[in-house]
Amino acid sequence: MIPKNLFLKRSCPLIMQIAETHRKPRWLPVAKSKIYRIPKRPEVSEEERLELLRINNNYKTQMRAIRRFYHEEMINEKSSLQSASSEMSQQLEADEWEKCVQINEKWNAQVAAEREQRRKIELAAMEDYALKRIEAKDKEFKGRIARASAEIRREKELSSTFITPDNLEAAIDHALANPVDYNYAIDLRGNIVSGRDTPIVKPEKKDQAVA
Amino acid sequence: MTSPVIKYVGRTTNFKGKTLWEIVGSLKNYGVGRIIVRSVFQRYSEPSFMKIIKVETCPDEERRRVRVWVEKTFRGRKLPNLTEIYKTSYKPDYNLIPKDEEAKLFESAKIYEKLPEAILPNAIEMPPLMKKFIVKDHEKKGLETIKEFVMPIAYNHSPNRVHRIAKGDEKPTVQFTMSLGKPVSPSLYEGIQLQ
Repeated sequence: MIPKNLFLKRSCPLIMQIAETHRKPRWLPVAKSKIYRIPKRPEVSEEERLELLRINNNYKTQMRAIRRFYHEEMINEKSSLQSASSEMSQQLEADEWEKCVQINEKWNAQVAAEREQRRKIELAAMEDYALKRIEAKDKEFKGRIARASAEIRREKELSSTFITPDNLEAAIDHALANPVDYNYAIDLRGNIVSGRDTPIVKPEKKDQAVA
Repeated sequence: MTSPVIKYVGRTTNFKGKTLWEIVGSLKNYGVGRIIVRSVFQRYSEPSFMKIIKVETCPDEERRRVRVWVEKTFRGRKLPNLTEIYKTSYKPDYNLIPKDEEAKLFESAKIYEKLPEAILPNAIEMPPLMKKFIVKDHEKKGLETIKEFVMPIAYNHSPNRVHRIAKGDEKPTVQFTMSLGKPVSPSLYEGIQLQ
């Protein structure tokens, strides 16, 4: 809790209202320090008591009369309103109802027109979107077919070199006749010397051969 | 032997006496025919007392209570019907009147029976501002203006009502006004000019 003096003691006092109850919450029991406290009875002199009693009784009588008067007036007004509302107001009410129905219908028509227009626009947008999607799909399919046919063509071209059971013997013979040796060495100039058993060539001869 | 010192502890109370069962339970025949008084009603100048007619005890759950029918005389006026005391029977506020004092009590009550009946008014004048307001209000609502600025008084109904309320055009013996009225203790208003 903020002490109130904090705000009052400032050089420029804040004007503020602190809404707080200056008591314990109601659900807490009586404070320990107050358990045995016995409040002193107020001492009112006999004269004052009698006068206060008279004045208060007077006041209560007056207020009861006023309250009863206005209560009865309210009830009378209510009942008169109800009786008056039997025929006159029924007609009025029917007219009012008619009017309300007309206004409602007008509003409904207006809203329906607006809705129709909006639906048209929405439908057109949807069609447009669908068409675009179809086109895109077509394009994609065509591209796929083209790619596939190109692949097929290439494979067909390559298939002429394939080893089949027919030309297997010939291929074996050819392989045996032309052994390939993938081993090679590279010198400092980048010349490739293939084979394992290739004799080393002298550098002078090599220069001439290059030239 | 010194007399015992009685020291009262706790809050003070307006009650003075015993509960009804404490009185009735220790009397012969449950005290039927005896007179009891409520001490808080002794504040009135007129005598108030009750004559026990019938007593019924209560079940064990209601130890402090007892059901008693009494002939009640309240502020010098005897009620026509019997009164049942049950809810208030636990209050430690009942006193038994000794038999030799009963006659005196009856005698004091007789004086009040002979006195003329006080009649309360059934209408009161409106307060000054309300009079003006009502005139304007009725004009606004298109109602007929009222000539007499009086309104009926509402009374709380109780069988203990001592004064009678005027019926019709009966002339009341007590008058209520919207003004301050005549003070009971003029000493409180010393130096103040009353209307």
